[in-house]
Amino acid sequence: MNIVITPAMIGQVIISGILSGVLYSMVALGLALIFGVMRIINVAHGPLLMLGAYTTFFLYSAFGLNPYLTVPISMAVLFVAGVVLERTLVFRVVDAPELSSLLLTFGISIALVNGAQLAFTSDLRAVEYITGSWVLGPFAFSKSRVIAFVFAGFLTGGAFLFLRSTRLGKAIRATSQSREVAMVCGIDVGKIHRLTFGLASALAAAGGALISVIVAIQPEMGQIWTFKSFLVIVLGGAGNYPGALLGGMLLGLIEQLASLFLTTQLSEVVAYVLLVLVLLVRPTGLLGGRQT
Amino acid sequence: MAPALEVADVHKSFGGVRAVSGVSLSLERGRIHGLIGPNGSGKTTLFNCITGVERLDRGRILLDGEPIHGLQPYEIARRGVGRTFQMIRVFPELTALENLLVVTRGPRAAAEAHARELLAFVRLQDLAGEYAGNLSYGQQKLVEFVRMLMRDPSLVLLDEPAAGVNRTLLNELLDAVRRLRDAGKTVLLVEHDMKVVMGLCETVFVLDHGEKIAEGPPGVIQSDQRVIEAYFGR
Amino acid sequence: MRPAVLAALVLVLVALACYPAVGTGYGLRSVLQAFMWIALAGSWNLISGLTGYVSFGHVAFFGAGAYTAGILIASAGWSWPIATLAAGAAAGVLALAIGGPCLRLKGPYFAIAMLGLNEVLRALVSYFEGLTGGGNGLSMPTLDATVPIYYAMGVTALAVTFGARLIIGSRFGLRLMTIREDEVAAEAMGIPTFRHKLVAFLLSAIGPGIAGALTARDQGYIEPLSVFPLATTITMIVMTLFGGKGTVWGPVLGAVVLFVAQEMVWARYPYIHPLLFGAIIVAVVLAMPRGILGLLQLKYRLPRTV
Repeated sequence: MNIVITPAMIGQVIISGILSGVLYSMVALGLALIFGVMRIINVAHGPLLMLGAYTTFFLYSAFGLNPYLTVPISMAVLFVAGVVLERTLVFRVVDAPELSSLLLTFGISIALVNGAQLAFTSDLRAVEYITGSWVLGPFAFSKSRVIAFVFAGFLTGGAFLFLRSTRLGKAIRATSQSREVAMVCGIDVGKIHRLTFGLASALAAAGGALISVIVAIQPEMGQIWTFKSFLVIVLGGAGNYPGALLGGMLLGLIEQLASLFLTTQLSEVVAYVLLVLVLLVRPTGLLGGRQT
Repeated sequence: MAPALEVADVHKSFGGVRAVSGVSLSLERGRIHGLIGPNGSGKTTLFNCITGVERLDRGRILLDGEPIHGLQPYEIARRGVGRTFQMIRVFPELTALENLLVVTRGPRAAAEAHARELLAFVRLQDLAGEYAGNLSYGQQKLVEFVRMLMRDPSLVLLDEPAAGVNRTLLNELLDAVRRLRDAGKTVLLVEHDMKVVMGLCETVFVLDHGEKIAEGPPGVIQSDQRVIEAYFGR
Repeated sequence: MRPAVLAALVLVLVALACYPAVGTGYGLRSVLQAFMWIALAGSWNLISGLTGYVSFGHVAFFGAGAYTAGILIASAGWSWPIATLAAGAAAGVLALAIGGPCLRLKGPYFAIAMLGLNEVLRALVSYFEGLTGGGNGLSMPTLDATVPIYYAMGVTALAVTFGARLIIGSRFGLRLMTIREDEVAAEAMGIPTFRHKLVAFLLSAIGPGIAGALTARDQGYIEPLSVFPLATTITMIVMTLFGGKGTVWGPVLGAVVLFVAQEMVWARYPYIHPLLFGAIIVAVVLAMPRGILGLLQLKYRLPRTV
């Protein structure tokens, strides 16, 4: 193979990388919140994203709703679903050994994926709403990705604003710093856990709603997102919320770069090797993180 | 002869926080040493550095004159450093006997006999088959203590042996520590209970904010101005 | 082992050994599959049940074994028994290659790394089309070897189970459990935890490698999707958790009970059973974390080697 890399190609890689990177950041922020606050790696995070995508699909196909208008609905639905999941199942393993929470969320993820298969069949679904690209000089901006980028940017920004400025947001951050201190300060930690899980599910749902316009929807679409979100938090530094932003960008760029040199199939291999390498060198992530 | 353990200019920080900065101390063979200091002064971190759980940022640690920093925790344990933990760490789903057996090699019958002997040493022989997680706090503490002795360590590190232990048990434990000393082992213990430290230790090191601020026999330490300040503020 | 138990065990083994003489084709294939699940669940138990390092990608070794045997049989013309042994070895080598870096990661990180492994191997198999046939799959020459494969799979299941019996009864097995219980304390006791995990991981890969090879030969055709299904990993995890992780006979019990249930009841509702598997995992983790045998062991103070 002889590939000539032109500056335009590099530019395109950077554009595409950043466009998809923010989406990664947003979805991974959800996983990072749950990990930070509850010390649980939610293996079902990706399947929750899948449910968000289906919500958008059905609102779009049944009621003809503009898919972008379904984003808040999808988020609200999955927020409730997340709260219910936490309230019924997940809260039982918050202080259990890691093995329990991993296996429990793994079980939930299997049930969600196969429940979706049962309910929605394995047929590929698509929300064909907007296609094509805006061309600017030598660069192409995929329309659906640009819109997703804008939405994800706003939502992620909103989430950070919420965490930084509101009482509840501060309570969430306090709980992830130290649960004991939060309790002493009169924070209802159980409520914060439910809220966090709901919020994280809503962020995943937003991701699902936004990519439903870009890629095909099917029950198994979510699992790879659990893995990628995890990679994002590791790249950014586990337990470090702004790190998720940087990690998402990094993953977006790396994937695009890899696809420049390798086939798309192998870009997943690259992501995997990267994950293991980063974990080996900096177990707390590139930006570092709190010691636990 | 080289000291039993020499800690030379050890530094360790987490993020920007200096947990241990420039601590040097040396332990004499066959004596009981105390390590005291206010909460967060770096005592447990120093333990973790000695046992290899934490990597040093700078400095050296020598066991009988041989460097051990940079070794894996298990290698350090195999060179004769035994430790207990601040929060008890027995293996709850293993029986008391199995907790001791895991470190042994060679013929099993002999290993079992040795383990039972040690359990009898702390009067737990009748609970040998009980899951460690089902034992009382004090019993778990004893299991952890004799488990550490299974390897016959030459240096014994005890992290708050007196915490959460009733009088009777405490006296037994202290007695056991003295017997270890009499058997020629070197002991270093972290302890908050000053009565224990003053009654047991021959040399005391005081840490504050990651630095060693005093060293000497208990009587001298008790009246050291810097130590009083560290504990009670100026 | 008590004489009565031993006698019952021997009786079951003899019956299973004689079964091909009287059994129907369907019956034979069912027992063969039960053997496979016993081997897979028992192997997963060695790493995840004992050390607590959850391998979410264990089917990778099954698939690697299938492809090793498939390539050796189809392209190099090896006989299937030799190819099967080679597949077991290849799975072991793969385990060392993956375990080398990944087992240095702490528990949850290891689990996530293994979650990705499946996808990666599937991608690699599809990528190296020349060797593996890529998405078109790989066909082996036709051969009716169901009966010998039945015996081979039976021996594999037996070997995994008795291997587990030996390990769990030994101090090596106890040391593996200390990693599950408290890895830091285990290290402080002088146990080289990494080396122990690596050996357990290696041992846990060989069974699936062999089972994958035998399954590949039995079916005569393999493709990436058919030998790397996440469902296989899920099934071995469910079976082990249900029967009792960390016990000798738990995976056997779980494999037999759930396999029979799957064949008799759920086969009529093919989409329900993966959903039920998810539900079983959730239920077992919450209500019965030690599984059936683990519970009995605790309640009736049965020895560890049950």
